[in-house]
Amino acid sequence: MPRWDVYQMPVDTGYFTPLGLQPTAVCRLGFNAAGRWLSEHTLSHRRLVADYQTGFVVWSAQLSLDEPIKFVDADCLEMRVTGRIRGGGTQFECEVEVDSASGTTTRMQACCVPLRLDDDPSLSGTPARLRPEVMGTFLPDEIEIRPYRSPAPGLRAAVGRDGTVLARGRTPFVIHRHQCEVADQWYWPEAVSLASGGREELVRVESGRVPSLRLGLSMPLRRLDLLFNRPFFLFDEGAVLSSAHKWQGRLVFVHELVGVEGGEPRALAIEQFTLPSERACN
Amino acid sequence: MMVRVSGALLRFTDYRRVISVAAPTVGAALIRLADEYRPLKPVLFDREGRVRATHQIFLNGEQLNREQLTRPAGDADSVDLLLPVSGG
Repeated sequence: MPRWDVYQMPVDTGYFTPLGLQPTAVCRLGFNAAGRWLSEHTLSHRRLVADYQTGFVVWSAQLSLDEPIKFVDADCLEMRVTGRIRGGGTQFECEVEVDSASGTTTRMQACCVPLRLDDDPSLSGTPARLRPEVMGTFLPDEIEIRPYRSPAPGLRAAVGRDGTVLARGRTPFVIHRHQCEVADQWYWPEAVSLASGGREELVRVESGRVPSLRLGLSMPLRRLDLLFNRPFFLFDEGAVLSSAHKWQGRLVFVHELVGVEGGEPRALAIEQFTLPSERACN
Repeated sequence: MMVRVSGALLRFTDYRRVISVAAPTVGAALIRLADEYRPLKPVLFDREGRVRATHQIFLNGEQLNREQLTRPAGDADSVDLLLPVSGG
């Protein structure tokens, strides 16, 4: 049986918006939970980097949210986390469940690509299969041969093909250190914050013309899909290219995070909000 | 030539992003840069003095492989040092 960790996390108001638990906070708590699981059952993130020259970069993540978890629900969140290797050691996947006392659950699933680090202070590395001695710390039930496939590219294509575009916008940004991790590379949950900012700007600017966009502020997020191609680094300049769509009875925001140099988006974020009529049907 | 340094390497160049380097080739420019900014040396070069494979180097937008670092470059040329990903 795969090993799970269960523990309590005290809440503070900074994890929440008026609508519920912040998606960025879920990603930060979830990544911390995965690190806790690795440390408890395999090797700590610090030892992986320092002793095994192994780093992880998040490549894909999904959040799915039931009814919102509210600050006043309970003093603590219950965190449940497990991890496993996929793709013959080319991926590490973690599953995290955040439960509230009210019985609602937020789920995060993230898939990381292992890096073989060079022995330099910048922690530079290249994607590589996990070392056998690292693989050996996982149970047989925690190793799956099949690689994880991100649903994000297919979802973006479906929304673009079958949805109705409501509005488009561009929100520039610069990456600063408080948004970065130990190597002056953005900490991946920042993609969620930047995408949220792109959505809020789009609503702020365009909701006079398209009133239904306000649902992107008044309704809680139900699902978030993330895909990462290349990170941003300290002082990198970029922009969130946001588009709002009506698709399958949902309000969907597609965000491409691009560098000023152009080229392929460095990250993709797709936010889905359930419209009131569909909620009434469920 | 002008050498442009990307975000993860900035702390090794005292946060200078664009640095003028006088050298006859791209490879020679990287050596001079690492001589001027000593913390950059172990980041850019391995113990054998080779440019680490984890860095990408561009001359006027064209990516160079290790063998092409002997490419001549002058005052009007620009070199970009890019770290595609870091394992923090």
